Amino acid sequence: MVAYKVPGILAAVDAARAAKMPANAIIDAMGDGMTEVGVLFERGRLFLPHVLSAAAGMTKAMEVLEPEMKAAGGEAQAKKASVVMGTVEGDVHDIGKSICSTMLQCAGFDVHDLGRDVPKQAFIDECKNGCTMCGMSALMTTTMTVQKDVIEMLKAEGIRDKVVVMVGGAPVTQAYADKIGADIYGESASETTSKVKDL
Amino acid sequence: MTAKEFYTRMGDGKRVTMTREKIMDDLQAGAADAADMGAIPQISDDDLERLADIICDPNRAVSVEPGNEVVLTYDIGQLDFTGDNGNSGAGVDMGRLEAALLHERALGSDTFELAHSDYSIKPVKPVIAMEMQTMEEIQQEIIIPYFYGAMPNMGLYYAPDGPYGNPADLMREFKIDESMEQSEKAASHLARDIEYVGNKIYAASADGFDFDTIASAGDADFVGSLNGIEALRKANPQMYINSGMSGESVMGIHGAIEYKGNVVAGMFPHQQVKMCEMAGANVFGAVCNTNTSKSLAWNMGRAVTFVKECVKQASIPVHCDLGMGVGGIPMFETPPVDAVTRCSKAMVEIAHVDGV
Repeated sequence: MVAYKVPGILAAVDAARAAKMPANAIIDAMGDGMTEVGVLFERGRLFLPHVLSAAAGMTKAMEVLEPEMKAAGGEAQAKKASVVMGTVEGDVHDIGKSICSTMLQCAGFDVHDLGRDVPKQAFIDECKNGCTMCGMSALMTTTMTVQKDVIEMLKAEGIRDKVVVMVGGAPVTQAYADKIGADIYGESASETTSKVKDL
Repeated sequence: MTAKEFYTRMGDGKRVTMTREKIMDDLQAGAADAADMGAIPQISDDDLERLADIICDPNRAVSVEPGNEVVLTYDIGQLDFTGDNGNSGAGVDMGRLEAALLHERALGSDTFELAHSDYSIKPVKPVIAMEMQTMEEIQQEIIIPYFYGAMPNMGLYYAPDGPYGNPADLMREFKIDESMEQSEKAASHLARDIEYVGNKIYAASADGFDFDTIASAGDADFVGSLNGIEALRKANPQMYINSGMSGESVMGIHGAIEYKGNVVAGMFPHQQVKMCEMAGANVFGAVCNTNTSKSLAWNMGRAVTFVKECVKQASIPVHCDLGMGVGGIPMFETPPVDAVTRCSKAMVEIAHVDGV
């Protein structure tokens, strides 16, 4: 069973704490719950606001659980990688990329979503400033080539091997991702998130 | 002796060969995926065998049997001619009149539409007077039913393009209630614009309106479009309204918005069509998305399963959207004719659509 409403999540956490369940076990259980929420989202049973609500509930619960875990001698959960996300220059399609950004945020990544029609240099600047993942979306055959341009710019800057490049969008395929030298192709937001988590 | 292999495609258009056994496996897997996703019945083993026959046909292009011909129509107006190869078109410059007459007299189109190059309701508003003039002019020469076509495209009503907050940005800040509120306001605005543009163009002699890619901005886009269609139907009882969808499932960007008491998020074609019927549409345009990493067989089995159930439950004609990346057809700039004709035949003869 999974819950996505914040009060329900907090009530479940309170019940677990009252039953003396260790903080790290509660956090692990919530992580499993988020995975299940992701699966239900992928299957069209839950929707974006529900995913966000579940993430909000988990964030609030962590405010209570992390100090308890530290007090018990455990370590706070390490922050996952920083990811720059954007729809490439010339393309204003936003929704798929935004869903992907949200899913990555819910999975614990530090997401820098630059929006749509993002200049190529802005992706490079973010990677030079600490982002180790670069996600680019393109919804048109006329703009998907910009993904390749950015990869070439990363090479020219000498930081290509320090950045995981992921590409997606309706006209983009695994074959195209391979051809331009991207590291990850995502058929959907969930698939992209799953591949990034598996790195 | 190795099993005979048949030329077929992957969802990205790549040429591959597969045995009939492998094709059947993929057809079954695709059909099962649709049945699971949509909570709908699987297509029969007989249907799967017939789909395999279509894929394994040795001819490059296939067609329906005599007597099974259906209505053929095109969207995006002249743009399939005038757009260049980078934009899914033929790169042949011509006016809208010439394009309309060529579709009628050379391409066998049964209906056609006038379209603005910025093919959405919102950008049409400021140029509606010019669109009305062009509609009147072309109606003087064209014989087939001639509609106006545009996308609801509710994304244009959100920041930075429109007056309402962008749900994607708001939700990332966990402002979920505010996000929902903005979606609802944008949907109301979209419905008003549909009513305005639709009434104007109908008054200028359009035979109807083709709504292309409904719900591309999610569930609130669907509700806004349905409310717009309802208003048009009320004002114009004889207007022909085609409600074409953007995807097989309505994205839940709002998550709870309703049309006549029904939460529309997550609806699949067989459910979407009932909403369009209630709104007063004459025709439903069913869409099923192609997975580029799977084979033509997998995508065809899946698309036919969704669309067949939609046809079964529909009380209005269903026209299947068959093109780049939809209806089982590979996601490819110029969709290969072998795949296009096979999916078209499958949709007509197995899913029993009324038009393409």
